[in-house]
Amino acid sequence: MVSRREFGRLTAAAIGAVALPANSRAAPMAYPHKVVTLITHSSPGGGSDVFLREMSKHLGRYIDATFVVENVQGGSGARAISRLATARPDGSVFYATTPTYIFTSLLSKPQHSFRDVQPLVNVFSDAEVVYTRADGPFKTLADVIAHAKEKRGRWGAANPASLERQAAERLKAAAGVNAAIVSHEGGGDLMINVLNGTLDIGVGEIPELRAQLEAKKVRLLAVFNAQRLPTQPDIPTVKESGFDVVVQKFRGLAGPKGLPADVIGIWEKAIPQLLADAEYRRIYAAESLVPDFIPQAAYATFINDFAQSSEAFFRETGVIKN
Amino acid sequence: MGQFEFSQALNLLIGTPLVPAAIIGLIWGIIGGALPGISASITMALLLPFTYGMDPTIAIVLLASTYIGAEYGGSIPAILIRTPGTNSAAATVIDGYEMKRQGKAGEALGISLWSGVVGSLVGLFLLVTMTEPLSRLALSFTPASYFGLGILGISIIASLSGGSLLKGLAAAIVGLMVSTIGTDPISGVSRYTFDVPELIGGIKPILVMVGLFAVSELLMQSGTAGHGAVAEARVRIVLPGWAMMKRLFKPQGIGCVTGTFEGLMPGGGGSIAAFLAYNEAKRWSSKPEEFGRGSPEGIAAPEAANNTVASTSLIPLLSFGIPGSNSAAVLLGGLLIHGLLPGPRLFEQNGDVVLGLYLGSLIATLAQILIGMMILPFCMWMVNRPRPYLAAFILALVMAGIFTINSSLFDIGLVLAGGVIGYLMRVSGFPFLPAVLGVVLGPMIEGSYRRSLLLSDGDHMIFLEDRIGLGLLSLAAVFVVVSLLREGRDLRRARGASA
Repeated sequence: MVSRREFGRLTAAAIGAVALPANSRAAPMAYPHKVVTLITHSSPGGGSDVFLREMSKHLGRYIDATFVVENVQGGSGARAISRLATARPDGSVFYATTPTYIFTSLLSKPQHSFRDVQPLVNVFSDAEVVYTRADGPFKTLADVIAHAKEKRGRWGAANPASLERQAAERLKAAAGVNAAIVSHEGGGDLMINVLNGTLDIGVGEIPELRAQLEAKKVRLLAVFNAQRLPTQPDIPTVKESGFDVVVQKFRGLAGPKGLPADVIGIWEKAIPQLLADAEYRRIYAAESLVPDFIPQAAYATFINDFAQSSEAFFRETGVIKN
Repeated sequence: MGQFEFSQALNLLIGTPLVPAAIIGLIWGIIGGALPGISASITMALLLPFTYGMDPTIAIVLLASTYIGAEYGGSIPAILIRTPGTNSAAATVIDGYEMKRQGKAGEALGISLWSGVVGSLVGLFLLVTMTEPLSRLALSFTPASYFGLGILGISIIASLSGGSLLKGLAAAIVGLMVSTIGTDPISGVSRYTFDVPELIGGIKPILVMVGLFAVSELLMQSGTAGHGAVAEARVRIVLPGWAMMKRLFKPQGIGCVTGTFEGLMPGGGGSIAAFLAYNEAKRWSSKPEEFGRGSPEGIAAPEAANNTVASTSLIPLLSFGIPGSNSAAVLLGGLLIHGLLPGPRLFEQNGDVVLGLYLGSLIATLAQILIGMMILPFCMWMVNRPRPYLAAFILALVMAGIFTINSSLFDIGLVLAGGVIGYLMRVSGFPFLPAVLGVVLGPMIEGSYRRSLLLSDGDHMIFLEDRIGLGLLSLAAVFVVVSLLREGRDLRRARGASA
């Protein structure tokens, strides 16, 4: 026979056993919509597409909804922004933000610009890095700058009118050196010219370099992020190397204008929880994504500042006139 | 390859759905490739989201066999309805559609099928046995080499002009001008975009091709009277016999060589390979006068080339993670989404995926003959319907295909405008192919020229210092001089005959 006291203890233990895991993983928050559509301008397999699809696999544990990714390609992101700007602002449609959505609005006059949608939250910063070939002469960023001061640097960026190109131009200005900054047709094209020694350095993102990094064919010299990367703790930031340049390639979400406050509240709570999720952390850490949660109000300011500094940069370099 | 166990291969073949995946991928690829406007990379991208939940090996096999199928599928509408289904089938239009008009559609389709299989097998053989040395070659291309390649490509205008060199050059210049629309490759300035966001990325060559070839053909046909008797009742595919195989050996060989180089160079892709192969096949042929008038060699060379690219563009992808074509880039996406990182360690850590890729590609290539023989008679039957129905069907097919790319009405407007321009060009005797070549090669020539000069600080010697670039440029110079001499000789002969 189990005595009454013992019974009570057993029951408590049993409840505890059930309650404990429930505490460590709370039930997903209720959400006003069953299905939430996440739009991206990137093609299946592209950067933002992979970001959304990976995130939507884990998001369901924190927000009680089904997440569907929709690729709205074309017009360098303009079509996706139009789709978002004309959607109902009820929390059922969001868009994956990257610098592209701001650049397209600055470089052309699309029907809807980034000003017609509302930034929601930021999730990550990509790791923007300076890299060189492993068997090349450059061991530090200082070597590269010294070479560019003495003779003439040959630096590469993956695409024209990209954040990488901006980063390279800003570094060049900050260091006051003579360097040719050569835009390419994508990261692969750039990588070949870094590996065969045509270029001193390339500016790119870690996911594009992972194969070469693992094979020890390229060496990282510095990161443009504000802090060192948790996955590459030995690599200094550009700022630490003595050049006051910080570049942040953001990845977050935006919605139609006029999102209800409760929807914003749910996302602001869910994203930090998601970023702390052990399973998800393993996946994004492998891609060197830096968790960089920014709540709604601050994100709107961040996007505005980013747009302003980009516009100033495009004017300085003559990319946009008038 | 030695490091793979035979039992491992057997297990993949029998124990996993690798064979059905290869065949499904192939069929999907042929359908996508055959739809005008849907390129190989789009066909693969459409399939990509469905592979996320699959076993990595099966997903990669599915995508790789889709690539093989699409490179082949593009030739079907090129031959039957004068519409290249993919960029890389544009060169096949010339002699393919000409053979079809002569009532030899079955032979033409058979030649393209056979050449595609030969190209795939050669490419696959190189992929399996030569990845190491060829990937080293891929690393030696600098911007100056790309410039040389672009100039060599554009030097073939003379042979694509079909008569008037002057009109050919004019068309090429228009093509080069169209290629300057969009974002400047170096500075990022938007050129001739008139603030239209659809133009930021430039005008895609496929829109130009579909407009110039397909829509203009529909306009031409609607300008002629009558319902048009059904040209041909036979719907049999004729695979080349032994004599024909021997004749095709040389153009196929040329196709495989150009395809190998193009596959290794990122940004090259199948279309440039196909054009170069067509031109070289004509140059080295014992019957160059047949080119443009329905030469079997004019189908064999480009079709062998674009199918070779489907395998060799995987060499830089697997060894460095650098895709050699847009389609290889989609395949890279497929690898990454399954957490597979291309590079030397892929072979060590995920040998089964690589082995599966080889086996799947082989199966898809062999199945190509069988599937081709099954679906081609149906395609031939379709294009033998009375002309008004056929024309309406083609128009709907073309518009639907273009719309699928970006769901963009703007693109449809571009294609229709291209059709009107193409119609006017045909009426006044301007050839299309130089214009298409200009659109395809323009960005490569401009970008690599300006990149080289940036690197050298404006010194043109950089083009002569790069060994590969120098070789390609000298080759181009020789070809231009020879074709000018030939042109002059023909002119004198014609004058002599008329005098």
